[in-house]
Amino acid sequence: MTGALLAAQVPSWQEALACPSFWAIAIGALAVWVLLPNRIAYGKTLGGALAIISAGLFASDWPLLGDWTSQAVFWLLAAITLGAAICTICSRSPVYSAIWFALSLLGTAGLFFYQGAQFLGVATIVVYAGAIVVTFLFVIMLAQPEGHSDYDRISWGWFPKTFSVLAAATFVGLLTLLLGNLKQESANVPAATAQQAAERLHATGGILTEQHMAHLGRHLFSTHLISVELAGTLLLAALVGAVAIAIQGKPRLDTRIEEALR
Amino acid sequence: MNELSLLYNYLLVGGLLFVIGLIGFLVRRNMIVMFLCAEMMLQGVSVSLIGFGRYHGGLPGSESSDAWGGAWGGQMLVIFIIAVAACEAAIAMALILMLSRRAGKLDAAVWQDLREPGQPPFIDQQVPEERTEDRVWPTLTPAGIRPKPDRDELLHRPRI
Repeated sequence: MTGALLAAQVPSWQEALACPSFWAIAIGALAVWVLLPNRIAYGKTLGGALAIISAGLFASDWPLLGDWTSQAVFWLLAAITLGAAICTICSRSPVYSAIWFALSLLGTAGLFFYQGAQFLGVATIVVYAGAIVVTFLFVIMLAQPEGHSDYDRISWGWFPKTFSVLAAATFVGLLTLLLGNLKQESANVPAATAQQAAERLHATGGILTEQHMAHLGRHLFSTHLISVELAGTLLLAALVGAVAIAIQGKPRLDTRIEEALR
Repeated sequence: MNELSLLYNYLLVGGLLFVIGLIGFLVRRNMIVMFLCAEMMLQGVSVSLIGFGRYHGGLPGSESSDAWGGAWGGQMLVIFIIAVAACEAAIAMALILMLSRRAGKLDAAVWQDLREPGQPPFIDQQVPEERTEDRVWPTLTPAGIRPKPDRDELLHRPRI
């Protein structure tokens, strides 16, 4: 398990064309491009089909986690997270966007639980889905009460859309390239090493121990004590700032004179 | 469970979540959707951090590095990411509320007067027609017994 895990090996064109991940990224980018708000007929059906093909290609190329149960749970959670994320950026109504984002957060919380981060999974559900998304919905209700608007049906135009999708595909492609060595190493992990890693994770200080919350609290309030204080100060400053921005003071004098004269 | 393939899968899921948020932030014009996408990018980073934390917890020597918590560092960072995201959402919501009160809509293109001098203004191309299914907003299914309004309520609230 030693050695450079992050090492890019530049593949030749033949290797790249034979790799399912390459096609998955290309088809996924096309799917997102088609799904984004535009004037393409049957865009949702076509884009959804392309997205499903892309997910299948990804599934065929990513390394297996072990037994089939854990694999199926991981794929379910990842599909919920990423599918809901794509729906978030593609829904024309901001209300649907917020609801899809809440579903994506639930998927992320599931991924956190899957890694043994119990507290963070619960905190994500409570803070994000419970507080932030509800605040977003309140602001939509206050700011956009009269229905859909034309700027939700059109994006900035074809240029930012095409190039942001291309930039995103390049980013994922480079990430896949960079992690190629890690993928090769993961195919031949000795059983003894995996066993030792599992023992370390289940040991007293590990993440998967039964005393997870106690250890998390101990680290949070000993090693990161100053950061906790700083985070509290930041929350207070944000509270004061939000109130100061949102409260409108007295109307200006000329406005009041106009109202009195009316 | 294969820890290395777990790390690989989580890094790619985190990267994909980040990238989807990036596309949304660059493409959408509704300010609320733009901020949802910013939060989604933070979520992608959190997923990667959790994956790295789990991987470091399984490495040899992770028990001894008690001062920095080895595996726990990733989870600590995610806790602070959640706290900062909550602050950011509060400030952003207040700002968006003020901006939408001034402009009357949530469009980011309204504020393009803030662009650099010399830049050409952004002008909408042909806006696609609104379809009938887009006009339907989410509604709640009615549940339970319909309440019986009495005379006083009918006097005060004529629309029930």
